[in-house]
Amino acid sequence: MIELIYLTILLPLLGFVINGFFGKKIGNEKVIGLIGSSTVGISFVISLLALIETINLPVEQRTNVVELFTWMSVGSLNISFSYLVDQLSLVMALIVTGVGFLIHVYSIGYMHGDKGFYRFFAYMNLFIFAMMNLVLGDNFVVLFLGWEGVGLCSYLLIGYYYDQKFEKGTVAQAAKKAFIVNRIGDFGFLLGMFLIFETFNSLNFLEVFSQAKHLTGAESTFGFIALFLFIGATGKSAQIPLFVWLPDAMAGPTPVSALIHAATMVTAGVYMVARASIIFASAPVILAVVAVIGLLTAVFAATIGLVQTDIKKVLAYSTVSQLGYMFLAAGVGAFSAAIFHVMTHAFFKALLFLGAGSVIHSMHHQQDIMHYGGLKKYMPVTFLTFIIAAFAISGFPGLSGFFSKDEILWFSYANGNFVYWLLGALTAVLTAFYMFRLVSLTFFGEERFSHDKYHPHESPKVMTIPLIILAVLSVIGGWIGIPEVFSGEHGNVFHNWLAPIFLDAELKLAYYGAHSHTEELILMAISVSAALFSMYGAFKIYTQRREIAEKFALKFKKAYMVLLNKYYVDEFYEATVIQPIQKSSEKFLWKIADNKLIDGIVNGTAVVITSFSSVIKKMQTGVAQVYALIMMTGIAAILFWIILSL
Amino acid sequence: MINEILNSITFIYPELAVSIFLLIIVLVDLVFHKDKKYIPYISLAGLVITGILVLNQIGITHFAFVPQLSAVKKYGMMTIDPFGSYFKLLVVVTSILIIFFTIASEEVIDLKERLGEFHALIYGMILGMLVMISASDLILIYLSLELLSLSSYVLAGFLKLRERSSEASLKYVIYGSVSSGLMLFGISIIYGLTGSTNLYVINSLIQGPQINLFTLSFSSILMFVGIGYKISAAPFHFWTPDVYEGAPISITAYLSVASKAAGFALLIRFIQTGFTSFISEDGYWTLIAVFDWQALLIAISILTMTLGNFSALWQDNLKRMLAYSSIAHAGYILLGIAVLSNQGLIAVLIYFFVYMLMNIGAFYVVMLISNKTGSENIDDYDGLGAKAPFLGVALAIFLISLTGLPPTAGFIAKLYLFIALIDANMIVVAIIALLNTVVSLYYYVRVLKHMYLTKSEREQENITPSIGSLVYLLVLLIPILFFGIYFTPIVEFARSCVSLLGI
Amino acid sequence: MSIYDVIFYLFAILTIGSGYLVVTSKNIVHSAFYLLFTLFGVAGLYVLLAADFIAIVQLMVYVGGILILLLFGVMLTNKVTDVKIRTGTIHIIPAVIGTGLLMGVIVSMMLRTNWKSEPGELPFTTTYGLGRILLTDYVLVFELLAMLLLIALIGAASIARRDNE
Repeated sequence: MIELIYLTILLPLLGFVINGFFGKKIGNEKVIGLIGSSTVGISFVISLLALIETINLPVEQRTNVVELFTWMSVGSLNISFSYLVDQLSLVMALIVTGVGFLIHVYSIGYMHGDKGFYRFFAYMNLFIFAMMNLVLGDNFVVLFLGWEGVGLCSYLLIGYYYDQKFEKGTVAQAAKKAFIVNRIGDFGFLLGMFLIFETFNSLNFLEVFSQAKHLTGAESTFGFIALFLFIGATGKSAQIPLFVWLPDAMAGPTPVSALIHAATMVTAGVYMVARASIIFASAPVILAVVAVIGLLTAVFAATIGLVQTDIKKVLAYSTVSQLGYMFLAAGVGAFSAAIFHVMTHAFFKALLFLGAGSVIHSMHHQQDIMHYGGLKKYMPVTFLTFIIAAFAISGFPGLSGFFSKDEILWFSYANGNFVYWLLGALTAVLTAFYMFRLVSLTFFGEERFSHDKYHPHESPKVMTIPLIILAVLSVIGGWIGIPEVFSGEHGNVFHNWLAPIFLDAELKLAYYGAHSHTEELILMAISVSAALFSMYGAFKIYTQRREIAEKFALKFKKAYMVLLNKYYVDEFYEATVIQPIQKSSEKFLWKIADNKLIDGIVNGTAVVITSFSSVIKKMQTGVAQVYALIMMTGIAAILFWIILSL
Repeated sequence: MINEILNSITFIYPELAVSIFLLIIVLVDLVFHKDKKYIPYISLAGLVITGILVLNQIGITHFAFVPQLSAVKKYGMMTIDPFGSYFKLLVVVTSILIIFFTIASEEVIDLKERLGEFHALIYGMILGMLVMISASDLILIYLSLELLSLSSYVLAGFLKLRERSSEASLKYVIYGSVSSGLMLFGISIIYGLTGSTNLYVINSLIQGPQINLFTLSFSSILMFVGIGYKISAAPFHFWTPDVYEGAPISITAYLSVASKAAGFALLIRFIQTGFTSFISEDGYWTLIAVFDWQALLIAISILTMTLGNFSALWQDNLKRMLAYSSIAHAGYILLGIAVLSNQGLIAVLIYFFVYMLMNIGAFYVVMLISNKTGSENIDDYDGLGAKAPFLGVALAIFLISLTGLPPTAGFIAKLYLFIALIDANMIVVAIIALLNTVVSLYYYVRVLKHMYLTKSEREQENITPSIGSLVYLLVLLIPILFFGIYFTPIVEFARSCVSLLGI
Repeated sequence: MSIYDVIFYLFAILTIGSGYLVVTSKNIVHSAFYLLFTLFGVAGLYVLLAADFIAIVQLMVYVGGILILLLFGVMLTNKVTDVKIRTGTIHIIPAVIGTGLLMGVIVSMMLRTNWKSEPGELPFTTTYGLGRILLTDYVLVFELLAMLLLIALIGAASIARRDNE
């Protein structure tokens, strides 16, 4: 199955082609939905079989390259469409196709009756196609094409309801914002790619990384490469300072938020950093930057999440915060912990979004949690699965989130320092708080909506079954990564599986585990009990004593407003970046540079060319003798040139 | 002796096939003089067979017709090598495209009675080109050039009732005669210097010290004039616009692609076989120090593309505009030769393939529109984008490709040309070529402007192409777009075909 | 100056002089007659070069055949004898300068070059050798020439025939 891995990429493309070009003709939602989800489902099966085949191979043979075709070969630049099947890419491929398949199935129910049903599935398939290129590509160019492709799909899908309003602007503006902010990151990524080619004369992962392993002393080069790549990652994975697009991306349909803006695309940055781990490990300074940015983003977004009232906004900030966690893990050299969190996060965050989608679906697209309440009796399956996910993300012991989060926290202390751990644990506490605030306000307490307008009901099976499957995964998904403190020496299956990929990077970083298991257990106990307390507190406050929260908000009105307005980051960018650019482009670029300078040059050139060409036109008279004369003169001129040069 | 001839015949199967089908066409024309509508299909069949025979030759490297009576029994009159096979294939494919072209062209359909002659003469051209591509003997070169020219003179003036056509033919004859006279003069001087007409022998002889360099340069220039006339390089290009405008449009398209390709193949063989002393490992040719070929080629190519582009700027007749544009393209291609490296040669091969698709395509659309409107004037293209959506889009893609913008194959062709130039450190030349491309953008886009932005003053019915034309255009369009994105196949094919039979 | 040279120059003057008159004569019949002398002069040069076969072919085909045909054609065409050819001569001065310079270059080149010469006896007759070589080493050229003539025939027929319309 490994050599058939390209099918996992081509099948979604096929789905896109069928639904995109013939979807309108097909018309039947069932057929379109079946095509859309089955292509992804089959891809998942193929990936799974490839995984099984890889597991059966000896460790040193688990890296396989499947070459499809050579795209171009110019000088020393050789770019081929070939796919790298190894431990890391298989994990990512399984997440993308597995979670992707469930979300596709869910969408059949969610998008039911939408006039652009076929368009939606076409875009979703296209997204899977691009994302699979991103995670499976064996060189930076294919990765970049996938990177741009998912950006494009994200743009298309955020702007899916392009004719509707969103907050202060329109959906189209939100899509544009995502696109432009991503471009800034992509520019960094491109620079990084150029620098890689300049340094290693190759863009192939295996070649670049094996060279990087032996290259020593070029710390500043590595630093720049890593920095540029990380700028790209901050754009795609919504980290400080480029995180502003993700909350606005919630303008898209909820399954899109679940698939693209929670489970898969936004983790592309983490994947890329993990993939290029050896480069980051060779630039310790930048690695520290990654950790700090990740940590800051985690805390920062979590605090904003505390006060948001839009159900999807809360989840969006939670996503930003969790992504920060992943970068924290990568920044302290715990790459496999980062990927582990990518996986568990995909399960529970997709579940949260889909659950939220289920709620929104039954509440006629009302998204304000202040207008929910007591929904648990109307939609028991959604409630049950949602609360499992909430427990998982809050790190309730035994659930998937607990293992991945705990591993990150531990490494942030063991490889980093106490402050990392403290802020990380603080984020965990905040996460538990806002998640249970969300759960309480949505499913518990009094019903704050009018029954005339809203008729909450459970969603159809096609939506709830994916929820149930994801809930099961959210519970057991973490059991493959049980830390060694519980499972004994080499008991962490997931870590062992990925270890060969990150071996070089970890050797270069040379962290030595001088910490005892007791230490780990103590820290774990502290963070878990704090999170549990926070969960309980949030539940209590928001189900029974909401006035406490209101009082608190009144007392710290300023802080509350700052949080509610997301630290005014959007306004800050508007004032410092967008306005100056607009003003100067209007005043200078348009009025002076464009109108005067460029138009002047263009018109001037046109005049010169015109007069020159009219001279030439005179030569072409149609009179035979003149032609002969010019021809002979030409020959004579050449001869005299030869005489002079001899 | 007889063995050598019999053995050599196995290497000229394509040429033999063309000759046989030429005779078949003449005979069919004589016997079935009532009904001539089958003749195009006979010539198509002949070309397909020729194409298969050429395909069989790809990869073979061999001399044919090695003189047994002369002192040096090593070098043949004809050279079969991958480079030649590539160009032969190009010529055959172009010919097939042109036969389909003529089937749809009203001008040719109106010929009725004379269809047989028309196809016989096209076959004469093909035979001339095929021999010319692999000829390595000056006599054979001259003869094949004459065969090609003679056929094209008649074809250019085939529409006898049209005054411009006869004028075109006459001008073509006059300049053709002058150039072939000059070329013959050059050949006789070379023979006088070396006592041989074989390029390989000449190459080995002119490396000696006793050769008078100026005389050799002079004769080479005269040879170059003869070839330069065929590829319409400035300042020997003046016949081109007049002939291209006057000739039937199918013949114009044919002359601008196939006959030019054969001319370029001859030029490359002449320089590489006649004047190269060795080829370095990274593919750069070192020429025998006769005179500075490179400077000459660069000067001529820049002159050619500049004159072509600037003259095209204000042409209102699309056919004439495309004629000038084809002159400009000859300039770009000549630049690929001027690099004097295998890299440049690859660029030339790629360029010709792409040029064939886009140039024939552009001419085809112009022909379809002139079939309907009876005019090639740019004003009659006003509002065409709405009246004939498919033709409009097709012409737009062809013109964008001719400009050399992505994502079309035209971009790839130019890209490889510029890569070759930059690789050879010819930055200034590359910049001049780039500026020329910018100028060319103007007149290509001008057509688009007329098609899409200008409203037609006259009421005209919609133009819908027939299914056949639709398929024909798609056959040209799909490779242009496909190779614009995924171009490795042509690059690899070109790379495998750069090798000429060396010394 | 040997007698050989004298004969050469005589024939050369004959060829060039009559050639000049062919081009400049305003009467087409006169031009055709002058062409006779040009072709004859060339035949004489061939004889001087001991190219007996080509000299005879020149006389028989060109002087005897083509030229007579040409004259017939001219004379049978109505009133062609009276037609004055309107050849505008323009740009005389630049043309003279250009061709003059070119000719200077050619002459100096001719004089300064040491041409390749094969030592040895002139063959008594060339017909045998020519025939042998044309059908062996140069058989391809010979056959291609046949195709060329065929194309010339077809082309000529195509140009000459009268269209029905």
